[in-house]
Amino acid sequence: MSRERDLEQVLRELSPSTRREFLKRAAAMGITAAAAQAMLIKNPTIVTAGPSAKRGGTIRILSHQEVASLSPDDIGPTMQWNMITQIHNALVEVNDNFVVERVLASNYLASKDGMMYTFTLRKGVKFHDGTEFTADDAKYTYDFHMNPNNATIQGVLFKSVDKVETPDKYTVVVKMKEPNAAFLRQAATVLIVPARYHGRIGEKAYKAAPIGTGAFRLKEWRPAEFTVVEAFDQHFRGRPNADFFRQDIVPDPSVRSIALRTGTSDSSAWPLLSEDNLRFEADPGYTVFRTSSLATNHFPLNNDHPILSDKRVRQAMMHAIDRQRLIDDVFRGTAIIAHSIFPPALQYWYEKGVKQYPYSPDRARTMLEEAGWRMGPGGVRVKDGQRLSFTCAVITGDRARRPEAEITQQDLAGVGMEMRIVERPVATILSQLPKGELDASLFNWTYNAGGGEPDPSATLAVGAARNFSRFKNQRVEELLPAGLREVDPAKRKKIYSEIQKIVAEETPFLNIMYWDWFIIFNKRIKGLPASTQSGSTLIRDAYKWWIE
Amino acid sequence: MLRYLASRLMQGSVVILLVSIGTFSMMHLIPGDPVDLMVGEAQVTQEQLDMIRKKWGFDRPVHEQYFTWVVNMARGDFGQSVVRTGVPVRNMISEAAVVTAKLNLLAFFISIALAIPLGVVAAVRRYSGFDYAIMVSSTLGLALPNFWIGLMLIVLFSLLLGWLPPFGLPSWQGYVMPVAVIVANQTALLARMMRASTIEGIGEDYVRTARAKGLSEGIVVSRHVVRNALLPVVTVIGYRIAFLLSGTIVIENVFALPGLGQLFIESVNRVDYQVVQAIVFVLSVLVVLGNLITDLVYGYIDPRIRIG
Repeated sequence: MSRERDLEQVLRELSPSTRREFLKRAAAMGITAAAAQAMLIKNPTIVTAGPSAKRGGTIRILSHQEVASLSPDDIGPTMQWNMITQIHNALVEVNDNFVVERVLASNYLASKDGMMYTFTLRKGVKFHDGTEFTADDAKYTYDFHMNPNNATIQGVLFKSVDKVETPDKYTVVVKMKEPNAAFLRQAATVLIVPARYHGRIGEKAYKAAPIGTGAFRLKEWRPAEFTVVEAFDQHFRGRPNADFFRQDIVPDPSVRSIALRTGTSDSSAWPLLSEDNLRFEADPGYTVFRTSSLATNHFPLNNDHPILSDKRVRQAMMHAIDRQRLIDDVFRGTAIIAHSIFPPALQYWYEKGVKQYPYSPDRARTMLEEAGWRMGPGGVRVKDGQRLSFTCAVITGDRARRPEAEITQQDLAGVGMEMRIVERPVATILSQLPKGELDASLFNWTYNAGGGEPDPSATLAVGAARNFSRFKNQRVEELLPAGLREVDPAKRKKIYSEIQKIVAEETPFLNIMYWDWFIIFNKRIKGLPASTQSGSTLIRDAYKWWIE
Repeated sequence: MLRYLASRLMQGSVVILLVSIGTFSMMHLIPGDPVDLMVGEAQVTQEQLDMIRKKWGFDRPVHEQYFTWVVNMARGDFGQSVVRTGVPVRNMISEAAVVTAKLNLLAFFISIALAIPLGVVAAVRRYSGFDYAIMVSSTLGLALPNFWIGLMLIVLFSLLLGWLPPFGLPSWQGYVMPVAVIVANQTALLARMMRASTIEGIGEDYVRTARAKGLSEGIVVSRHVVRNALLPVVTVIGYRIAFLLSGTIVIENVFALPGLGQLFIESVNRVDYQVVQAIVFVLSVLVVLGNLITDLVYGYIDPRIRIG
């Protein structure tokens, strides 16, 4: 539990100053509380290298899977995010403490009713081909996503946008169809592409030959092997310190660990084995950032399943699983128990007062008895001739989580539940679970919308594409759209607190843990932040680093 | 001979067609498609997923998708990857095949150069110290998993000695360890086979006759025994040629080499239909040609096996 307490301590220390700064600046800018909730402002502006910064060299990081595309629309996978964000910028970006920063926009203003956002753009920003970034590029990018014919992945972020206007070369006005409190943290952080270039070559070709306003420009892309970007001299924040930034793809975590040890690489952007992570953390020769993942490690359960549809059974399962043992034995303590759909790292939205399920096999047995499940032959409970048995699909070849499923299987067997384990490809699981064609599974998924935005509509709304548990709750159905419409942060917080409480009570899936996310750097890399709350955005700031 | 070739090629075409139908059916029988993985954790709606599926043609009937694929293949168009969107599959395969082919051909020639003399000498000096050493080391070469040997080599030559890069192909040095792992495995197999077939040959009547003619032992072994002992080894070599491009998945994974094996596994996991189908097509062509070449080489080595 010490890891959990450490995290809480950090959050307590960080929170007040950020909040004060946020309110002060919001008031100073004449912005309403409605818009300000997403604007915990930290001034970005121009970053200049400190006096000790050195120029030159190649910073090399490691990831695990190919970089299949360099288009901002394909920014989802971490290894793609790492490179696409070096090449592109958004009007505003969410930093590694979940604070919205102004980047290509030098300023922005939201109307009181949340129906209009006005962005004033930074002047003199160049794309890598030397053309100037203007309002036309922002409008083109947003319009591209809004056009249903383009079927972009990020198109859904613009569902509340009515139109985008450009009254002058450096002003972008976004008019909404309806208020959407998630707009600033989601749509406005979509990375900008150059209108003329993208329009000429098209999205497909752009995926392999991107041009952005980022600190680095593409030098060489070999998807399954490496991607290299080089310093962009005319970057609006100033030229990055390193000449090159390179990401090598190394699937095996042990080899990534050795590459870090030998100095072949400077960082592993994708976690190593738990024991290696801890070894590097204890080694003074490395700088290690340990943050809490935003994705929940959980067992989605089919809530329409004849057995799993009973809330008492699902709650009994929560009591039956020794989650701390899973954390300690399988992940060597590098995780915290998940009580809610939001991790404690999302400090503003995290609701502490949700129902919790301490490990208690006796309580689980009692609950199952109360639900009418009596102990039957072979130690498996029965009710009306039906065995308390279901199947859990783990991802084929998932060496990290398979042991977790096996220990859970033992815990459940201890209270008279039979969980059979099968392996399925991840594409099959993602396809079959929401359709109710699988009983249960085990993987990690983000129930907030990422970047500090809490909206869980995509995972909790009835019929949502990612409602893996086929969760249905009338009150949550009312709260989800209300949460998006509500632009007052305090009122919004109440909505998401209620959603968290309902989900914890209903327990449609088994919340297990939030993994610790390790990002390890060789000590020769300087310019890193003192601390971070979100490991995933840390790599984006490579333009600030230098090699000692 | 020409008639034989034409007949074998016709049979091969039928095999390739059946393999393509089988692969296509299997890939489409797996629930799920690449769209779910492409989208990842993005906050998409079901409607949006359907639109993306439509964009990639996954909403069309399977037989229509198959027909389109066959027609495109006949034109030499392998299609485009859905995962590595916009990149022609032909480019992906050719780039990956170069890596795997280099790796395997190097290992292949080194293994043959080592295994045949080692196997023959072990057979001729049966039960000697040399023979035992070959038997023990070849047993280890076959029994130890490739990934373990690979990792141990990386620990030794990269971490402890610092002589070789731990992954990738930054220079020729990058080939040393992956080739060594394949050589260890392949040499062990071929040396054992060569030893066994040489021992069998040494006891044959024609060898006794050759000795009776007064030929030296060296000439008896090299001209009479080895030539016949090569036959079963050629079978294995032919088999290895056929699977040349697919047999090094583990090695490619450990050493982070962007070869065909790695591409194949990744594409299967991500249900990237176009890539999987194209790789299976290329491999089935290689299997057919590999078998044909093996049969032709048989005839050359052993004149008794003549093809009419």
